[in-house]
Amino acid sequence: MERTSRRRFVAAAGVALTGLSGCIGGLTAEGVEGESEGGEGGAEENEGRAEQSTTASGERVDGVPLRASALPVEYDFAALREEVLSGGPPKDGIPSIDEPKFRDAGEADSELRPEDVVFGLVRNGEVKAYPQKILVQHEITNDVVGGEPVAVTYCPLTGTAMGFQRGETTFGVSGKLVNNNLVMYDRATDSRWPQVLGTAISGEFEGRSLREFRLVWTTWKRWQAAHPETRVLSTETGYVRNYGQDPYGSYVPNPSGYYVRDSTLFPPLRRDDRLPNKRVVLGARLPGEESRLAFEKPALRAAKLLSASVGDAASLAVYDPRLDTGYVYRNPEDRSFDYADGQAVSSDGRSYDPADLPLDRTYAFDAMWFAWSGFYPSTEVVQ
Amino acid sequence: MATETHSRGPVGRTVSRTGFAVRAALGRRDGFAVFAGATALYLVVYLWLGDLLAFDGSGEVGILVAENPLERFFRPANSALSFEPVALVEFGVGTYLFSLNTLLGLGIALLVGVNLAVTYLAWRQPTACGIASSSGLLAGVPALLSGAACCGPLVLVIFGIQASSAALTVFQWLIPLAVVLLVGSLLWVGRTVDPALV
Repeated sequence: MERTSRRRFVAAAGVALTGLSGCIGGLTAEGVEGESEGGEGGAEENEGRAEQSTTASGERVDGVPLRASALPVEYDFAALREEVLSGGPPKDGIPSIDEPKFRDAGEADSELRPEDVVFGLVRNGEVKAYPQKILVQHEITNDVVGGEPVAVTYCPLTGTAMGFQRGETTFGVSGKLVNNNLVMYDRATDSRWPQVLGTAISGEFEGRSLREFRLVWTTWKRWQAAHPETRVLSTETGYVRNYGQDPYGSYVPNPSGYYVRDSTLFPPLRRDDRLPNKRVVLGARLPGEESRLAFEKPALRAAKLLSASVGDAASLAVYDPRLDTGYVYRNPEDRSFDYADGQAVSSDGRSYDPADLPLDRTYAFDAMWFAWSGFYPSTEVVQ
Repeated sequence: MATETHSRGPVGRTVSRTGFAVRAALGRRDGFAVFAGATALYLVVYLWLGDLLAFDGSGEVGILVAENPLERFFRPANSALSFEPVALVEFGVGTYLFSLNTLLGLGIALLVGVNLAVTYLAWRQPTACGIASSSGLLAGVPALLSGAACCGPLVLVIFGIQASSAALTVFQWLIPLAVVLLVGSLLWVGRTVDPALV
């Protein structure tokens, strides 16, 4: 077992958090969504963003596209490695989907209930949906979207769905967990990548970060209404699984089992009682040290607009009722917006789609609170 | 009726008596019914706990076979002694996933069934067996727990218990432990049977 005592880990984490580890200081959070993701907001916008992504600085090593600067990690890598434990399955015991098949929305309608959770993706003009009920059994789909090789990943224990550029390699499920979060491995170098961090904690790529992009956590009904042309991941995965049964619980019709119970399956990196463990937050990593934000999703759903100011970065989150999601923007000039009919309205009276405000959008994704706060103890809660 | 030679040592005598007890238990119609019922019930519970059998009322009927089933049959899956499903059977009221785990579960279920059948014999003819009637039942308890081992720590989700490395290690040994306990239990019960009195 790779796990050691919590006391030893806490001591190491404390050192890391005081900046002595050298892990934080040299890293910056770019977090500009346009640089790293295609986003969800219509094909035209997406194509524009994709163009940006291909020109963003970065490099390929062993065929894996990497960020020019690493994402923030608030722990020493050695300390994180000590917290890695076996989740039970051996390497590839949870098999990634490497030859995904898709079908159109009409065909998928017969197997998906309107309220079923899907992870939506619009990238380079292509629209796809990945049902949670399929990914809960595989956790990773190695796909090509809009001509670009990508890994669509989902960790049921942390409630996180995240997309990564994968270049010429594929990603698999290592069977290991850290902070209850899926530890992926790349099949080029076998480096280990905790999904939420998007950064390798061991192997040839240790300290390097993947280029990530947004998946939208929404329902089949909402996604289909917004994108009737969407293609949907098929249950013809090459494996046989009971895709009608979620071993952890259920998201529909009402969340149950692991998804609502306060306890985690394995001990989290740390406890943070500001919110219940399983409360969903929209987490964003902003530039600068200790600039992590967690927008409580129910609060955003109710307020529609939430503002935050952490360090030298002002931010704004906007609720999108069409997909029941939110978008986070940097708002350095502290521009003011109102909200009307599902649109953000600027002081000059112009209305904007929640996904398309005239501000820099920051990569943000849904996560269970314990997962986000465990990886990013410095996070501020916005509610 | 079986005979017992005095030349056998204690081990040989125990095995011989156990063999006799099993044959005697299964040779009776009621004893065989206990064996068959216990085996079937145990296997269903084992598969259900391991998420290999679900009664979800899908209404569908059909069989789906995985790609390269023979290659995948011995491929490890969720946890220790857990293997990749190679066929999915929908039978209207439920869904069943066939894998090597079914054969493992069947092996344990047969041991449980034999234990309970011999226990039944002891209950019906306590004079001949000279044992307390509940001993075989006790042997079945750890075996039932082992059924949970095929889904690794997921069974802990059901009970809201936090897993640990130590718990995972224990889970890895539940199936072998159950087999050892069941075989031991059977021999322990069997050695007390006096063939001359049955």
